[in-house]
Amino acid sequence: LPVLLAALVAVATCTETFVGHQVLRVVPQSDEELQKVQELQDLEHLQLDFWLAPRGLGLPVDIRVPFPSLQAVKVHLEASGVSYSTMIEDVQALLDEEQMEMLRSSRRLPLDTNTFNYEAYHTIDEIYSFMDMLVAENPNLVSKLEIGRSTEDRPLYVLKFSTGGTNRPAIWIDTGIHSREWVTQASGVWFAKKIVEDHANNEGVASILETMDIFLEIVTNPDGFAFTHTKNRMWRKTRSKHSGSICVGVDPNRNWDAGFGDAGASSNPCTETYHGPYPNSEPEVKSIVDFVKSHGNIKAFVSIHSYSQLLLYPYGYTETPAPDQQELDEVSAKAVAALSSLYGTKFKYGSIITTIYRASGSTVDWTYNQGIKYSFTFELRDTGRYGFLLPAKQIVPTAEETWLALKVIMEHARDNSY
Amino acid sequence: ELPPSHFPASRAAAVALGYLRYLRGGPGRGLELRELRRARRQDIDDVGHKYYLELELEDVLDKGRTVSCTAEVLYPLGSKTSAPDVQVTVQGELRSTEEADQEFYNRIRSLEKELEAENIPDSHGNVPPELEPIHLLAWVASGFLIWQNSTENTKFHLAQVKHVKQVKRSDEDLQFDYVLLLHEMVSQEVLPWQVTVLWHPRRGARVSQS
Repeated sequence: LPVLLAALVAVATCTETFVGHQVLRVVPQSDEELQKVQELQDLEHLQLDFWLAPRGLGLPVDIRVPFPSLQAVKVHLEASGVSYSTMIEDVQALLDEEQMEMLRSSRRLPLDTNTFNYEAYHTIDEIYSFMDMLVAENPNLVSKLEIGRSTEDRPLYVLKFSTGGTNRPAIWIDTGIHSREWVTQASGVWFAKKIVEDHANNEGVASILETMDIFLEIVTNPDGFAFTHTKNRMWRKTRSKHSGSICVGVDPNRNWDAGFGDAGASSNPCTETYHGPYPNSEPEVKSIVDFVKSHGNIKAFVSIHSYSQLLLYPYGYTETPAPDQQELDEVSAKAVAALSSLYGTKFKYGSIITTIYRASGSTVDWTYNQGIKYSFTFELRDTGRYGFLLPAKQIVPTAEETWLALKVIMEHARDNSY
Repeated sequence: ELPPSHFPASRAAAVALGYLRYLRGGPGRGLELRELRRARRQDIDDVGHKYYLELELEDVLDKGRTVSCTAEVLYPLGSKTSAPDVQVTVQGELRSTEEADQEFYNRIRSLEKELEAENIPDSHGNVPPELEPIHLLAWVASGFLIWQNSTENTKFHLAQVKHVKQVKRSDEDLQFDYVLLLHEMVSQEVLPWQVTVLWHPRRGARVSQS
């Protein structure tokens, strides 16, 4: 009861409302105009609130005008030919919007994956807690595997989505291998929820889950990701230190054993494409290599990056076309068309080396050479306008359209077993 | 003839876009590449490689419309210190920015304290609306840098405005000193560049590398 009374008192005393209030801007161009505006200051009964007081000619005057006074103020200005513009149409509407925005982005922990905010970027702790919630809510479908630990001893988690069976043919998806590509980890979170929803509603990937498992590693480079939150938003690599250099980090997408060290990677530890001292030197990479080899039944492998809006297939380290080039190209064309069907987002596609640049030691070149035919790399939105700093409001549209392309790849893998 | 999906064409297009942003951009106009329609390459003995491009552009502040453009980008042979030569022809009209430019000019001139800001966009991709013209002026500056510093082996984008400070002047120009982060796609490096922009509604932008 005391709590209820306190709440009612709070509501009763909080009477200030700004419904219908407008903020007008006047820029006095002459002494006469300036005087007219100053006159308004003396009319106390109008209850005007000057956000920017009159200071001189050519300087803006911003006035919050309560709804009952609007008519009087506008007449006063118009009668003297003083022009004004409406900066804010309804102050209360703006306050309400701001309030909603603050609640939405508040750092209060969501109680479940339905109240989780998919339209915002999250920290590593928030994503790890999301994973635990998803598993707890769907214990018969989702489990969390720890496949290794990062250089800084962070756990490397993979979500497994399975409706049963033993070592079923599987699809692998990873996001966030390059830590600054924030839209990818955010999309990974959305994909996880989507898989669960589809299964619950018996639509979308539910049919794929009847015969295949899905593995999803959302934060593939947790050390780098933590660093982008705390120290350097533009950090790409891992955070390993290798003797002989003060520079930190290895490019995890040049550290795989496919053309390792060839042209298309750097041997300089201080560069962004440093391949590392030897293949799989990075635990973030080694853990996936070990997982893939011991699983032995992965049929499609998709590694997700941003930005550039591209769908790429092997090879990056050689100009020799992949033996399955034609099929991969056809699947890519279909996937890109599906992606584009949602919001019109245009993607280009092709082999890594012809479409983007020569790159050696890259993830999908290795997985392809392991026999995983459907090996693809995505580069998500955008094409450079925001680049790595993609506005949060584009997270969900990006995830939604990418999901359509992923489904094409997954369905093709399911329907073309090998 | 080059496939537009292959990188040599898209790198040349990025140079053309940089040049266009420098020439035609401003606080009220941000040009973006909507599509690369066609590309051809010509190897000219003892001169260099010349790319002929057909581009479709849009003004991010006028998104309903696109404008066609043809560009020629000549990368000089050997020389790594000489900027590519760019010729562009814009077909059609771009939306007038006279009013927006004047409003921006007046607003900045009327500031009591010199404008200073950092991290545009911020980590989450946000740009406060009142800083959007400063952001677009950075596109003009980065366009200049990208044009001047590109080769066939690079592809630059503006990653972020790390810092911008207005410097009040006794003449009629506005001056902004920028620290821009440019992302180079092939090396994946993100490097800071210092650049000064002078701007006036009628005289346009003048960019100098610090």
